[in-house]
Amino acid sequence: MDSGTLSGIVTAVFILVFIGIVWWAYSKGNKQRFEDAGKLPFDEDDSQGKPSSRDITPGKQGDKQ
Amino acid sequence: MEATTYNYKVVRQFAIMTVVWGIVGMLVGVILAAQLIWPDLTFGIEWLSYGRLRPLHTNAVIFAFGGSGLFAVSYYIVQRTCQTRLWAAPLAAFTFWGWMAVIVLAAVTLPLGYTSSKEYAELEWPIDLLITAVWVAYALVFFGTIVKRKTKHIYVSNWFFGAYILTIAILHIVNSMELPVTLTKSYSMYAGVQDAMVQWWYGHNAVGFFLTTAFLGMMYYFIPKQAGRPIYSYRLSVVHFWSLNFIYMWAGPHHLQYTALPDWAQSLGMVFSLMLLAPSWGGMMNGIMTLSGAWHKLRTDPILKFLVTALSFYGMSTFEGPMMSIKTVNALSHYTEWTIGHVHSGALGWVAMITIGSMYYLIPRLFGRESMYSTKLIEWHFWWSTIGVVLYIASMWIAGVAQGLMWRAANADGTLTYSFAQVLNTMYPFYGIRLAGGALFFSGMLLMAYNVWQTVRAGRVVNDAPIPQAVHA
Repeated sequence: MDSGTLSGIVTAVFILVFIGIVWWAYSKGNKQRFEDAGKLPFDEDDSQGKPSSRDITPGKQGDKQ
Repeated sequence: MEATTYNYKVVRQFAIMTVVWGIVGMLVGVILAAQLIWPDLTFGIEWLSYGRLRPLHTNAVIFAFGGSGLFAVSYYIVQRTCQTRLWAAPLAAFTFWGWMAVIVLAAVTLPLGYTSSKEYAELEWPIDLLITAVWVAYALVFFGTIVKRKTKHIYVSNWFFGAYILTIAILHIVNSMELPVTLTKSYSMYAGVQDAMVQWWYGHNAVGFFLTTAFLGMMYYFIPKQAGRPIYSYRLSVVHFWSLNFIYMWAGPHHLQYTALPDWAQSLGMVFSLMLLAPSWGGMMNGIMTLSGAWHKLRTDPILKFLVTALSFYGMSTFEGPMMSIKTVNALSHYTEWTIGHVHSGALGWVAMITIGSMYYLIPRLFGRESMYSTKLIEWHFWWSTIGVVLYIASMWIAGVAQGLMWRAANADGTLTYSFAQVLNTMYPFYGIRLAGGALFFSGMLLMAYNVWQTVRAGRVVNDAPIPQAVHA
């Protein structure tokens, strides 16, 4: 196999991996999981032990359309 | 017994040292900028000559200022988003004192002229070994904390930090392969064009993983926190993470366009650099769109201004970088001041501003205060920094393009139109503007130091920040 064929195969594999990642990230089954993960910085008290008034203002974010 | 509080001590130590090393590193930068205008500024003292101070500046701002900032925020974020105390407190303390020792050793050996002469990896082999030990400890503490997390998911910031810790370990070890001859002198294992390629594989990924990936981890936590809303699209951040890390790894050869490097490798570096635009801008949009519906906060909150302006500079420099990697553009831009402008658009505009914003968020929380001593001073700091960066990069753009055009100008008989000295002479006004911009940015750091000092003085050391006990895992 010459190097041209090899780079062709490698390129194709990488494209498939990329499509796989996009599919995995945007699949319906993983929607809730990633939404939960996105809220992690807010699942906490602030450093003084009382919730910050600034934390969490509900709004329309990109994932929830 | 299960720990009920977070480990803020090591975070606090690194946060304070971030400000200290920022001032030191940027002061050296200002001195260097002045030396380019007045070469005799340091009276010919060899320890203070340009060639000795330049690596001190780059090491101080990247690894001392940026590095301390990253240690601080990664230790803070990993604890709070994993809802568990940092694993192995003694190891974490070792990373602080070890890293400080590395910095002090660098500050002593570089002016004395001890160097392995590899850019951004100048430190000699005993220090390289110490860096390795500290870094392994860092990885253990960080991943140990991830392992014992109380949350189900690993927040995206931690993915970025994890990639940075892992990659920097590989880069440092491979690039620093060297044969010690004496205690203070070693020779690289690589030679010729292989050495150049390994060096720039390291060099560009130091930019990619130290100065980009890691600071994106900072961005993905502090922008949502300061804006009070979750990241615009968490799913986009997942795609951002994988594609950015994958593509960055191959972009290094763009530092070696038109050299002895094989042509195919040069083209590969260019193509991957161009592809980098997509994940870079995807990440930038993700950060900026987090503010959608909360734009009004930008008017009143200088911390948010720092964070969002940092993202804007990130967008600018990640557009400029791919463009400069195109071979025909590179033929004009390489070895000119344009490169210096590009680097500082990223280093001051992106890295420093996102770090400064994050520190203004973090420091009051580490010292038991609601906010910094003075919000007004943060506002001033923001404007001084922004105007400083703009002066810096605009002057270097003009200087760089002029330099490139003058160098390549040829007469009809093939001789060069301009001598080197003539080109240098053209640079003076721009060097002056750059010095003014750099000095302004540096002065902003002094404002920050005063503000931090007053905040710490009136505050109390927080060692009792509680870990939420209502675990949902």
